[in-house]
Amino acid sequence: MLFFRSEERVREWCAAHEYPMRPLVTMDQLWTLATTWYSTRLQEHSRRPQPDEMRSIFAGLGLGGDFWNPQSDSFS
Amino acid sequence: MSFDTRTKLAIYRYFAETGQRPSLEVVAERVGADASSVREAYVRLRAQRVLVLEPDGVSIRMAPPFSGVPTQHLVIVDDTKYFANCAWDSFGIPAALHRPGKVHSRCEQSGEPLNLEIDLEGPPPCNWLFHCLVPAARWWDDIVFT
Repeated sequence: MLFFRSEERVREWCAAHEYPMRPLVTMDQLWTLATTWYSTRLQEHSRRPQPDEMRSIFAGLGLGGDFWNPQSDSFS
Repeated sequence: MSFDTRTKLAIYRYFAETGQRPSLEVVAERVGADASSVREAYVRLRAQRVLVLEPDGVSIRMAPPFSGVPTQHLVIVDDTKYFANCAWDSFGIPAALHRPGKVHSRCEQSGEPLNLEIDLEGPPPCNWLFHCLVPAARWWDDIVFT
């Protein structure tokens, strides 16, 4: 899970390592993910989002498809 | 509050206070238990995916978003330095602490530095991008690589 200056830099990095290019996430989307995951982490009743919740969170940000599905079996 | 929750909070609050990982002995002291009981709790917390241990079974590698070891993602909040496990977690530290923070990282391809001041509403307008190579269903197969 890494930062990149631009889509072109992501493309170059993936090509150099022979990795597939994945969906890109903006900084605003990343902030929403970070706050959703961690804003209660130091509190007694915090817990990680469960798979159904994760799907809903991702979908709410426009992050859909098998890549963001925590229960997908499309990637082995 | 359960013993596991007290253990988890002792770990996370130590990270929050110091930016460093606590030793097994420090956690045991904070929860008022013996080291053996805390070590057993570590195993259960790992199963809940809120703790990642080094191969020795006692050194904390990750208490997400905090990293127990130095990484390329440095976060400064109120003059305390923290290391994050990844780009996502670098935003997660100010989010967890509910404090503004400075995120220092880099573009993985070019090495260009990223310096962002995060406030309580998030980052300023910024066209950098986040890329995750591993599909969500596989993140915890090897969370260190992810």
